[in-house]
Amino acid sequence: MTEILALDGLVKRFGSRTILDGISLNVSAGEIVCFVGPSGTGKSTLLRCINGLEDIQGGCISFEGQAVQGNPGAIRAVRKRIGMIFQHFNLYPHLTALQNVMLAPVVVHKEPRAEVEARARTLFDKVRLAHRINAYPSEMSGGEQQRVAIARALCTNPHLLMFDEPTSALDPETVGDVLTVMRDLALEGRTMLVVTHEIRFAADVGTRMVFMDQGRIVEQGDPRAMVAGAQTERARKFLGTIHG
Amino acid sequence: MIQYWPLMLKAAGTTLWLSWLAMLLGAFGGTALALLRQIKFAPLRWAVIGYMEFFRSIPILIVLFFVFYGVPLLLEVDISPFVAATLALALHASATMSEVVAAGIASVGRGQWEAAAAAGFSWPQTMRHIIAPQALRVILPPSVGVFITTLKESSLASIIGYIELTRTGLLVRDATGGGFVPLLALGAVYFVINYAISQVGAALERRLHVGRRSDLVGAMA
Repeated sequence: MTEILALDGLVKRFGSRTILDGISLNVSAGEIVCFVGPSGTGKSTLLRCINGLEDIQGGCISFEGQAVQGNPGAIRAVRKRIGMIFQHFNLYPHLTALQNVMLAPVVVHKEPRAEVEARARTLFDKVRLAHRINAYPSEMSGGEQQRVAIARALCTNPHLLMFDEPTSALDPETVGDVLTVMRDLALEGRTMLVVTHEIRFAADVGTRMVFMDQGRIVEQGDPRAMVAGAQTERARKFLGTIHG
Repeated sequence: MIQYWPLMLKAAGTTLWLSWLAMLLGAFGGTALALLRQIKFAPLRWAVIGYMEFFRSIPILIVLFFVFYGVPLLLEVDISPFVAATLALALHASATMSEVVAAGIASVGRGQWEAAAAAGFSWPQTMRHIIAPQALRVILPPSVGVFITTLKESSLASIIGYIELTRTGLLVRDATGGGFVPLLALGAVYFVINYAISQVGAALERRLHVGRRSDLVGAMA
């Protein structure tokens, strides 16, 4: 498996608070890595460092052999190959669902509009929202908006998908729709990093589980094995509480 | 009085043209200032804030006198009353508009910037395709107010001898032997113009909001 992402001794501080305290991690193509752990342990911050939304105070990140640091051009080049899905969707409210999905390919990647639109339409089929193509975000449910956000991320043909608590802001009845779409993506063999509290999803779909606490990776391994019985006390306790 | 109506209407046109030009310059200037404020370079920000505070704090009449009497002395150039009035009004409007534009940009949630950044949009692309269209809806209503204020302030140009609406009204009053009616007519013309502007503004606003009423909530999340 080719390695696409390498983190080495990553340190992130906000002022005097250390959020990430020396994270090292390697991700190969096709892996689905699920990050779990208590709130405020830096899981989301970790994703945001990977595409340069947060600067880092130590260590290094390289994506497909390219450092995510320093000049804005290099960071943008990396961002073009990573799709990100946010907890609060962050759809562009002034654009329809279709326009949301088409904007980056047309503006950032300078692809021909007709080609992008054809691809966008197949993506709406994939996320089961073909009937909502002309709706504005304000007219859609949270679950629908998040599926549009997934289509938007997919439309730039990213090499890595990052999900930052994609179901945390959703009504319980729409969580399933989003997870179904994510399962489909996993079956396609896409490389995914998922920060989630859905332990069952992580166990079913993930190829690796990373348990984080207080800015560190406490334990990682096969998701099913970890849910059945983690090595460390802290992970066992956390997974036990959430699962049971 | 009736024979003077064509004169009054023509003067109304002059006032509209003067204020429109000043507003246009003020809007461009204000937008440029608001964008400059976005740059994280302290001296630049102080300069912009100083400019804004300066032009917001001194009476527009003083600015007008300075441009009309002071600048020709300083630079040894001739400035017509029209140019002086346009400049003075534009300087004033640009200070207010920079606040309005800055508030409009600030109204767009951080999530929008992040979504754009994560997708690889550059700053100009983000501004143009994502921030500006959303900010515009916040910027438009107060801009209509700034335009109306500018139009009313343009009556000050009469003091430096520019024959616009107010000046014309006063001349008509003199020509008809004083009295109340010409002043009433003058007020009525201003009212009609400004009422029409606010109606056009309201119509524009409705068009910008079609089908997306509650979207500010989504933008803030």
